[in-house]
Amino acid sequence: MQAGRPPRGAGLGFRRELIGELQAGVPECISFFEVAPENWAGMGGRSARELRAFSERHPFVCHGLSLSLGGIAPLDTALLRRIRQFMGEHGMTLYTEHLSWCADDSQLYDLLPIPLSKKALKWTVDRISQAQDILGLRIGIENASYYAAPPGAEMAESEFITRIVHDADCLLHLDVNNIHVNSRNFGFDAVEFLDALPLDRTCYVHVAGHWVEADGLCIDTHGADVIDPVWQLLTTACERIGGDVPICLERDFNIPDLQALTAEVEQIVRIQAAAPNARRKAA
Amino acid sequence: MNQPAPDFQDFQRAFAHHLRDPHHAPRPPGIPARRAAIYGELLFNNICGFLDKCFPVSRAVLGEPRWRRLNRTFYRDWPLHTPWFRDIPREFVRYLETAEIATPRPAWLSELARYEWAELAVDIMETAIPEHDPQGDLLRGVPLLNPARLDLACAWPVQRIGPDYRPRQAQATHLVVYRDRSECVRFSEISPVTASLLARLEEKCRASASGEEILLALADALHHPAPQTLVDFGRAVLEDLRQQEIILGSQTL
Repeated sequence: MQAGRPPRGAGLGFRRELIGELQAGVPECISFFEVAPENWAGMGGRSARELRAFSERHPFVCHGLSLSLGGIAPLDTALLRRIRQFMGEHGMTLYTEHLSWCADDSQLYDLLPIPLSKKALKWTVDRISQAQDILGLRIGIENASYYAAPPGAEMAESEFITRIVHDADCLLHLDVNNIHVNSRNFGFDAVEFLDALPLDRTCYVHVAGHWVEADGLCIDTHGADVIDPVWQLLTTACERIGGDVPICLERDFNIPDLQALTAEVEQIVRIQAAAPNARRKAA
Repeated sequence: MNQPAPDFQDFQRAFAHHLRDPHHAPRPPGIPARRAAIYGELLFNNICGFLDKCFPVSRAVLGEPRWRRLNRTFYRDWPLHTPWFRDIPREFVRYLETAEIATPRPAWLSELARYEWAELAVDIMETAIPEHDPQGDLLRGVPLLNPARLDLACAWPVQRIGPDYRPRQAQATHLVVYRDRSECVRFSEISPVTASLLARLEEKCRASASGEEILLALADALHHPAPQTLVDFGRAVLEDLRQQEIILGSQTL
């Protein structure tokens, strides 16, 4: 059990591919790391030892992938209990998950959009509440990227998110790349969408790069450099939420050397430094 | 009383079925073909990423089309409940071992896959090593087996299979896959006698039997005419296993 170390400043997704370079020295600008419990909890051997060596010196954020908050099968309480233990082992204070589903009765291992209906809203709120009870903390829910809008929508996505955050009394994990990708794929205004979210509840921010298909469809790959419109959206978000919310760079594919990633993390630090410190209060 | 499932879940089930089996399960109304295809590709590529990484030899010996067909039927047919990505390869091994699979494949494929999976499993196995004396006497003391270890009894010589060697004759093979003190995964082929000694050690060391007691019991079970000869032979085997770090030393009781 480690004492809790809350994340602050700018961070980087912790990847095995980067461990060698990070062992030689963690760049000044990286104030915390993020891990997916599904990739790291319950592991022994070298993986466990290396993760511990970093988590003893740096704050870590726990960012889940498999919980299926909007899914059909009963909430995986064994997973949640293991996550709680894992967070304790590494002094993590923040857990976030996607506002999505990834399983019917069986896992699909990827994030799918929840139909924006009242019943789905209630269903998801109940599961978030259950998760928060088991973890003993408020969790952050991330606005997800999606490529198809499920039928049966009874409200806008921003309203769905706002009501979930309110009804479940949880926090918002804001992903600006996901907003950009969705705004391109569905033709809406990213800043308008941003402004309709419960930004006063923002606990954590993601920024990442994406892939653009030949026909213009944007795919949220986390496999490329962050593009300027996404940096711009991050700057706008920081003007709203202030500079003291932790922001993490995600990079999961085509991972470049640490120097290239560090330059992007430094960009986050500059954006945070330019933002007002006082967080905007809810209207 | 069973409540009817909320209608949004009908959509989720229909979409999940379609994503697992795009050629047979219909695309749910309201989901454009292009967008459904993107999801199908993302999800299947994701699964293939986990499988390709764990099973390079199986993939190479089957060739791309057959390998992908097996990946596809696995994703379509095999119930996957584990939230842990590292367990996906283990589920694939179970699928190969127990499911009814139409794709023709070599008789040794499931053993080869289990052997490949063992490397991953041992690498990340969560174990606690009890206190022990690395130099301790293995006959008078209780030998401590390396807990980060899988013993494989195969009908085929899986460790030699590759694109250039596809055995036609079964050949019983005993392998130990384990993590050494420097946390590297190592493979060791052992004799059938050593394999049965390992099995006894695994069983009896928990009951705190000494190396000598275990060897004498083995001699008794084999109706060995000269038990002391077997003990002397066994001592050399135990020392060899210690040398390889399959035995870590003697337990500190």
